[in-house]
Parts: sequence; C-alpha cells; structure tokens
Amino acid sequence: MENTLKFENPTFSQRMKGMLGVDFYRLLHTPMFYIFLAIAAIIPAMVSAMTMMPDQNGNTMQPLYDNVWQIIAAKKPLYVIESIADYANMNMVFIFGGIMVSVFIGHDYKSGYVKQLFTTHAKKQDYMISKTLTCAFAMACMCGSYLIGGVAGGAFAGYRWEVNAGSLIIAILGKMVMSLGWASLYTFLNVIFRRYFGVSVASSFFFGTGILIIGAAAIVERLGLPAGFLNVFLYGASVNACLASGFSALLICAGVSAAWAVIYNLAGTIILNKSDVY
Amino acid sequence: MNAIEIRNLSKSFRSLYAVDHLNMTVPVGAIYGFIGENGSGKSTTMKLLCGHLVPDGGSIRLFGRDYTDPGVRARVGALIENAGCFPNSSVYQNLRMQTINLGLQNPDEEIRRVLRIVRMEEHAQLKFKKCSLGMKQRIGIAMALLGDPALLILDEPINGLDTDGMRIMREILLDITGNYGCTVLISSHILGELEKIATHYGIIRRGRMIMEISAQEMDARAQVFVSLKTKDMAGAKQALSEKFADVRFDGEYLRVYDVQDSAAIVNYLMQKGHPVSQLKKNKIGLEEYYVELMSGKEDA
Repeated sequence: MENTLKFENPTFSQRMKGMLGVDFYRLLHTPMFYIFLAIAAIIPAMVSAMTMMPDQNGNTMQPLYDNVWQIIAAKKPLYVIESIADYANMNMVFIFGGIMVSVFIGHDYKSGYVKQLFTTHAKKQDYMISKTLTCAFAMACMCGSYLIGGVAGGAFAGYRWEVNAGSLIIAILGKMVMSLGWASLYTFLNVIFRRYFGVSVASSFFFGTGILIIGAAAIVERLGLPAGFLNVFLYGASVNACLASGFSALLICAGVSAAWAVIYNLAGTIILNKSDVY
Repeated sequence: MNAIEIRNLSKSFRSLYAVDHLNMTVPVGAIYGFIGENGSGKSTTMKLLCGHLVPDGGSIRLFGRDYTDPGVRARVGALIENAGCFPNSSVYQNLRMQTINLGLQNPDEEIRRVLRIVRMEEHAQLKFKKCSLGMKQRIGIAMALLGDPALLILDEPINGLDTDGMRIMREILLDITGNYGCTVLISSHILGELEKIATHYGIIRRGRMIMEISAQEMDARAQVFVSLKTKDMAGAKQALSEKFADVRFDGEYLRVYDVQDSAAIVNYLMQKGHPVSQLKKNKIGLEEYYVELMSGKEDA
C-alpha cells in the first residue's frame, strides 16, 4: 500500500457504486431477504386457499374473488377498504415490505456497521438513496414473488383466469413501480426512529396499511374534490394500479412514486445532516 | 500540514457539554495518544471527527480540508467502540462489504493483506459472532486498514486484550505508521501500553484539552527519582526531607525526586545512620505523570 496524501473527491456515481454495492451484497447474502420473498409468495396462496375451505358446517365459503388475477390487484381503484378482497392483494407486499426495510436498516444500526458507512461517506444523501433503491428492488422482487404465489394459490383454489392481459401487466408493473415510493417512506421512517427498532417496525406497519388514506378520502370528499385526487398519495396510486386500469395509471404510479421518493430522500437527508447519526 | 486540526469544537447533550471548546492538533504521521478519564469526551471527539455526531460549534480540519469533504473522509479508517461487523456474516464477508463500500480494486488481495497484518489469515471463514473479543478488535483494525487510510481513529482498541493481544496490537500500529505513513489517533486507559507507541499525547478533561505534548517533551519533563529501602524508613524520610524537596513513600520504598546523583543520597543516608539496602533510579511514566497532572487539576 502506498500512502500518499492525495485526496481525490469521489464522483457521485463512484460513491453510489460503493454504497449500493454494500447494500445489495448484504441483501443478497442474508436469509432475511429470501424469508420475505417466501412470505410474499405464501400470503396470496394462503388467502386464496383459505377462502375456498369449507366452514364448520361443511359449507364452502363464499369465494372472495371472481378470478385468479384479483388476488394480485383489485377490480377497480377503491380508496376506502370495503371488503377484505379489496385489501388482500399485492398491496399487502407493501406492509410486509415495510417490516423488511425496518429489519434491514435496523440491522445496520444494531451491528454498528452504519459507523463504517458514515465514516467513509461524508454525504448523507448517499445513505438515503442507497437504502431506498435497495429496498425498492427487494419490494419489487416481493411483488414478483407474490405474483407466483397468487397464481399457484389461485390455481389450487380453482379460480377462473379471464382478464385483459394488458391491464394485468400494467397492474403488476404499477405495483412494482410503487415499491420505490414505499421504500423511500420506510427508509425515511427508519431514519427518524433509528434508535428505536420497535417503533420503526410499528410505524412502517402503520403507514403500510394505508390507513391514513381513509382520513385523506374524507377530506377529499368534504372539499368536493374528485376521488382521483387521492392518487397523489402512495396508497392511492398503489390501489389505482388495478385490473381495470390503463397506461395512464402506470404513468401516475411512476410519477407519484418518484415524487415521493425525492421528497422522502430530501427530508431524510436533512434529518441525517442535522442530527447525530449514531 | 496537520492530520487533524480542531478549533473550539463543542458538543453538548441535553445542555451538558461533552466536548467544550476543544482544541487539538495532530501532526501527520503521529501516533497520538488521546488520554482522559471516563466521560471526559474522548469518544465524543472521535465520533465528531468521523461525522457520526453533529457539532454545536467549532471547526474540524483533516489534512487541511474540512472534515465533511468526501475526498478526505474516504481515507479515514475508524474503530469506534466496536468493530461494527454483522455478527452472522463471516470475517471475510464483513471485510468484503467494506472493500465494496470503498470501491477497492482486487478486494481479495486487500482482504488477505489486512488479515495478514492483524494475524487473522486463518480465521477468514469464521463467523464474526464466534470470534473472541481480541479477534473482534483485530478485525475492527483490519476493517479500518482496508484501502489506503491516511488517518486511523481508534477508540480503546486494546481494551479487553490479553498481554499477547496487546503486543500484537502494538506491533500492528507501529507497522502501519512506520511502513505505511498512516496517522493514528488512539485512545486508551492502558497508559503503559500507550507509552510504548505514542509520539504525541493529548490529555482531555471535562471536554477540554488540558495539555498537548510530544513524547520527546514528555520524556524531557518527566521527573527522575530514586527509590530506596532502609531499615528505618520513617527515620530515613525525615533525614532526606531536610535536604531534598520532594520525598515520598511509595509502598515499601522511599522516593526522592529530581535527583541525578544517587551516590550522594547513599552517602548522605549513611552519614545519618540509615544504610541503604536497595536502590534504583527511574523516571516517572506516563501513568504517573497523568495521575499527578489530574490530581493537580483536581486541587486547583
């Protein structure tokens, strides 16, 4: 090793390459990621199989869905949950994805490895961007895993298969694109509650359920705004990517997801710059 | 150019100053022993240097640049409190992650190099959680050594190590400063060990730097003393006190400070009827110097 006192400023891409490299290496080398992939696959399989099981009297329960693909996405964009069928679709990935992000980032702090990252990376935005992108990738993979589990579960339960292929692709892509926005929200929450792992998990779960959209929907209704206004929120855009949606829904998902990712990353960077990180 | 220049650095927690207008200068290539009691602000200062904490005020410059400069920070290696490794990952995996983080070419070669320096080549595949405390400390050093660090910040790296572990750590630090030109800022409570390697010292108390001194200056300032034994120690002390300014009991011995000619003491005591049975000439060490300094400050 030749130790000369030259200090070359790494470019943004060099810095991100290092930080993203570590995060992806860790993600792909820890069992947690694969456990969450398995969870994402098991949930739709269980939901669809359980809804077809006979009750105590031996009667078959009323099926939740008309066809297999409704396990993946709802039939129409509903902003307020009306039945479990509207709720139990790929949006559930975002709830479990939140817990995964909490575990992933929480482990950074618990192990103390975050010290190495912050020592060698003076720019705090590197951390926010890297965690967001890595966790978005993980959640998009969970969406893929959910798709496989949903198809298998639907086939097992005997649901019908008819659906417009284009809408189905847009619905799945829409959900995957929304992973970026959700990952940025969870990264932001985990930066705020970095010293309290339990609070991080609870807050991720709470926001992941999209429960705040009920309040937002009430406000939108009272103000007489169109229901589509709710699409500016992460949950709104996520449910908008439904089986009846078109290409515009995918664009909305991409725009909303990217916008929230920028907002949460900026906010997280400001918090990290202004507060003690470890 | 100095490796570290801190001016008026302050950091408080709940309005209590952990670092209070601290000034510090660490020359390039130094092994700077950072000394102070528990809670004196050593770890806080080191965390501030690494960017883990946000200062209330003051400035930190590393190699003439602001400490938030990405170029200079990319060449800082640190071991603060613990190694910061993932317990379920192997030693190799932990080091591999750091090579990726630093964007190093030839990561395997680099990992082998640092494992060789810290004498851990045989344990690369061991899970971090299975390592002993001494091994974990050495892995922490290895993590800090990856790449081409210009500055190493080591917070209590020899704590909990056995004698052999301390010797190895000492050799490692001398090796990396001597052969790689690295500057080392190291804190420790084991002053005897620090004394063997440090080229400079900084003594901190209640968040303030109370003294910065080079090892050479320290050596020049260190009081010479003569330790001796006689049959009647109390009588000998009384007799010596009449002629020498500073005479103290030290366990079974009497110490006479600032005396160059030990033969004169022997003759003097002989004349007073106190033949000397044992005698040795010595210098006070860092630990005693520190204790004296601290007790002086306490009195003040």
